[in-house]
Amino acid sequence: LIPPTVCVAVGLLSAGAIAFQLALMQILSITQWHHFAYMVISVALLGFGAAGTCLSLFRAVLMNRFDRAFPALLFLCGAAMSAGIGLSQASAIRFDSYLLFAGTFHAGRLMATYAVFFVPFFLAALAIGLAFTKYSHRIGVIYFWNLAGSGMGGLLALGLMWILPPREIPAILALIPVFSGLVALRKNSGAVVLSAATLSLIGVAVAILHPPALIPSEFKSISRAMQLPQAQVTLEKNSPYGLLQVFSSPALRYAPGLSLTYPDAVPVHRAVFNNGDWIGPLLSPQEKNISPVMDFSTAALPYALDKRRSVLVLNMSTGTHAVQAIRRGVESITAVEPNPVLLSLLAKELAGEVGGLMTHPALTVEKSDSRTRLLTEFLSYDLIVFPTIDTFGGTSGLDAIREHYLFTKEAFGDAWHRLTPRGVLSVTCWMDYPPRHTLKILSTLIEMLAERGIDDPRNVIAAVRSWGTITFIVKKTPFRPEEIQNIRAFCLRLGFDPALLPGIRASERAFFNALQDDLFFNTLDRLLSPAREDLYAAYDFNIRPATDDRPYFAQFLRWKSLPNLSEHFGSRSVPFFEIGYLVVMLTLIQASLAAVLLIIVPLFRTTGRHSGKSRIFFYFSGIGMGYIFVEMALLQRFVLYFGDPLHAAAVVISTMLMASGMGSYASARIQALGAQLPLVLAGIMVLLLSGGALLTPLMLKTIGLSPIAKILVSLCVLCPAAFLMGIPFPAGIRMLAETSEDDIPWAWGINGCFSVISTALATIIAVEAGFTALMAGGALAYGLTLAAGRFCRHGHGKGEA
Amino acid sequence: MLEEAAMNKWWGLIIILLLASSAPAGDIDQSQRDAMVRTQIAGRGIKDTATLQAMRTVPRHLFVPSSLADSAYQDQPMPIGYGQTISQPYIVAYMTEVIRPKAGQKILEIGTGSGYQAAVLAEIVKQVYTIEIVPELGRTARERLQQLGYRNVQVRVADGYDGWPEQAPFDAIVVTAAADYIPPPLIRQLKDGGRMVIPVGSPFLVQTLMLVEKEKGGIKTTSLTPVRFVPFRRSP
Repeated sequence: LIPPTVCVAVGLLSAGAIAFQLALMQILSITQWHHFAYMVISVALLGFGAAGTCLSLFRAVLMNRFDRAFPALLFLCGAAMSAGIGLSQASAIRFDSYLLFAGTFHAGRLMATYAVFFVPFFLAALAIGLAFTKYSHRIGVIYFWNLAGSGMGGLLALGLMWILPPREIPAILALIPVFSGLVALRKNSGAVVLSAATLSLIGVAVAILHPPALIPSEFKSISRAMQLPQAQVTLEKNSPYGLLQVFSSPALRYAPGLSLTYPDAVPVHRAVFNNGDWIGPLLSPQEKNISPVMDFSTAALPYALDKRRSVLVLNMSTGTHAVQAIRRGVESITAVEPNPVLLSLLAKELAGEVGGLMTHPALTVEKSDSRTRLLTEFLSYDLIVFPTIDTFGGTSGLDAIREHYLFTKEAFGDAWHRLTPRGVLSVTCWMDYPPRHTLKILSTLIEMLAERGIDDPRNVIAAVRSWGTITFIVKKTPFRPEEIQNIRAFCLRLGFDPALLPGIRASERAFFNALQDDLFFNTLDRLLSPAREDLYAAYDFNIRPATDDRPYFAQFLRWKSLPNLSEHFGSRSVPFFEIGYLVVMLTLIQASLAAVLLIIVPLFRTTGRHSGKSRIFFYFSGIGMGYIFVEMALLQRFVLYFGDPLHAAAVVISTMLMASGMGSYASARIQALGAQLPLVLAGIMVLLLSGGALLTPLMLKTIGLSPIAKILVSLCVLCPAAFLMGIPFPAGIRMLAETSEDDIPWAWGINGCFSVISTALATIIAVEAGFTALMAGGALAYGLTLAAGRFCRHGHGKGEA
Repeated sequence: MLEEAAMNKWWGLIIILLLASSAPAGDIDQSQRDAMVRTQIAGRGIKDTATLQAMRTVPRHLFVPSSLADSAYQDQPMPIGYGQTISQPYIVAYMTEVIRPKAGQKILEIGTGSGYQAAVLAEIVKQVYTIEIVPELGRTARERLQQLGYRNVQVRVADGYDGWPEQAPFDAIVVTAAADYIPPPLIRQLKDGGRMVIPVGSPFLVQTLMLVEKEKGGIKTTSLTPVRFVPFRRSP
């Protein structure tokens, strides 16, 4: 029988480990950028894999001292959690994403950060693995507590993010393993265990009383802003949506791509940052005595065309475009924003600052994801304003692996359907060189129009360029001559140039703002021609439209272009075109090396060279790869369904872990070597392949349901596959326990190793081939397990899994 | 007296040793500067002789953090702290040539940074006014420029938005720090016929320099060649 204290301790520890993982992801999003979330997942899985290896090397020692080793590991895990953030922020270790490719120095620091975060996960996994091994005959029960605890951990982390600042959360979470250690403590534990308990309690107490300061990269917007005179953060609010900071400085002004004809002083405004990234200034519709800055930007183009009566502002953020609409006298404005904390700030604490924006009679603010809004409401508008794409100077590809369901061909199509006959879509973007963002906007608009039977979009698309920004507008019906005249007058008054306009002359494209060469205009024209497929194939960057299946608008890297780009821009510059994607590649390489070195290589010493080893390899590598592929694919896809990554992650991770936990609990009933396990694996494959094809249509049909109803739909969709996916691992372990117990660590290690590698690999597959391909990859991986399992059925004796 | 003489003798010896040890370093620095100008600057088409001479003269290695001094003359920007960089040598030369500096001119620089661009300009023109918003950078640059003997550079720690109205108008304005708007006061402080150069883009990416020209009250901009001299490949 398994002592209940061990089950509870495993459950608590699992909850603490997952919650710590999510807290680390948030902290790395604040100090660096969001793509380090993948690093955290890799590190955690690496810890689990390495623990399996350690268990295999020191199995006898640890098992003989289980009563002492188990609680000691829990205490040490707590100590490592409490110290991890402080160590990672120490000046000798702290790395900077921007400097990773500027030399080897920061790559070494990244490795050190890896190591610091690896330790708590390794210790947690060692404790869990010890319990798995000790009670391998009841693996289903322990695995259930492990997965159920992990599921609860996700919810716990989200809860803590609402009430605590990010830097305080890890220390609070470190209490969980310490508490679970106390639960598992036996009377005869001995001095070593008590020392570990004391050490962890001291460590946690220090971390709670003196939480370490989080130091953002010096290249983050907030760091640059903090260098302004008298810079200060006047208000801070944490939530799972990010750390919102209200910032003020007498030198902070907002005037993006301002026309050089602007006559007044540029006013000073406070601004809001989320996780250290700029999200917008606090403008007031009541601002007096100055010309509205936004009216001297290209974003004013749709208003120059004609009077607008109804406007939909997508991702309103701090309300820049809503303020512009109010000041232009629009009668009915709907603004959509998914972040409830930001909306609450604007309505309450910052209400005075934004001049009662939220209560303005012309404005209706809705808390919703913009894409969901486009899919679920069927009102029509004279103008739909998309959020500004890219930032000044570019993000250096930091956004490359983030899903943007608002900038896909399908999203532009959804917006198109919401336009009145005289309506206009408007997208503003910073000019970049070499041109990428600008071209992808146009290609997406053109492909969207082509799908609606408009093969020559020249009559419905216009674009106006300042020295820094460009605004594209797409009209439902062809531009009228007076509208074209209005656009020309707008350009002349503000010193802008039309880039696209029906009947445009070459001489007017660069009258006020000349470009260095004709590349931009030539490429625009080629996109508008039937030969655009050739351009997609030949251009050095990926400017093919993003789709819902591959919603990576900001991913431009084409591997085959790297030599050419290196030649033209220098090898040192090239990484900064796509730093986000390259960080994932770096993570893949580092994680793969670490996984092989820490997990696989040591196991060769201990595992016998029998024929069954390769079968075990295929069986457990398939599970490791398949589970992560499916989880990552679903995480990506459910962002569209729930509108934000946070709720998507909470629903997907918690449901999958709990359903898989139940599957593992039920696995004891599966006759592993009989006919049932292949049936389970075949069932997983069928569900994954059909899910890959049917999930998106189902989501689009039900996206308008209430959140509760959507969660129920998600449970129905996720549970069957996740339940079955929980079975093969414990079933395999149980098979080994019966036939070849010494190979259990090898199996555990293989599973961990492939989980580590698959985390980054899944992202790369999603970017390169899309969601459907990733789901198919998951099915294929389970096919590998099925094939290995089938071999196993013919195996005999020791080592035959 | 004997002791003093002995001390003087020792000091003399120390000074001679220091000079002896620094002389080859100075030669190396000069040869590195010459090579930098030859390959990175003149080699990429900068022709203005005053600019080339200034780039040969200013000791760039004294404007970067000591830990990076060995690579000061390499073809790259370098971090100088506070999220700021010292621009690639070619960019400094290019920005200098673009404003067509002449002896007797008065130049305003926004974004002193390390002070390197101001020093290069000060080698050519009569007076350079430079503004840095980060106090630590501004103070360090002021001390550095004074130590190097640049008496015709004035450093002010302030918000560059307002320019330097007391000394306006300027023959040219060099904005070394990229901003998402061009402050209207700077346009006003530019002489008619004057030229302003400003970088657009991330300091680590391919920056495009933009030239702003004021002619009879009207303003026109021109995006100039990007950092790398070889133009981006056109699509076939």
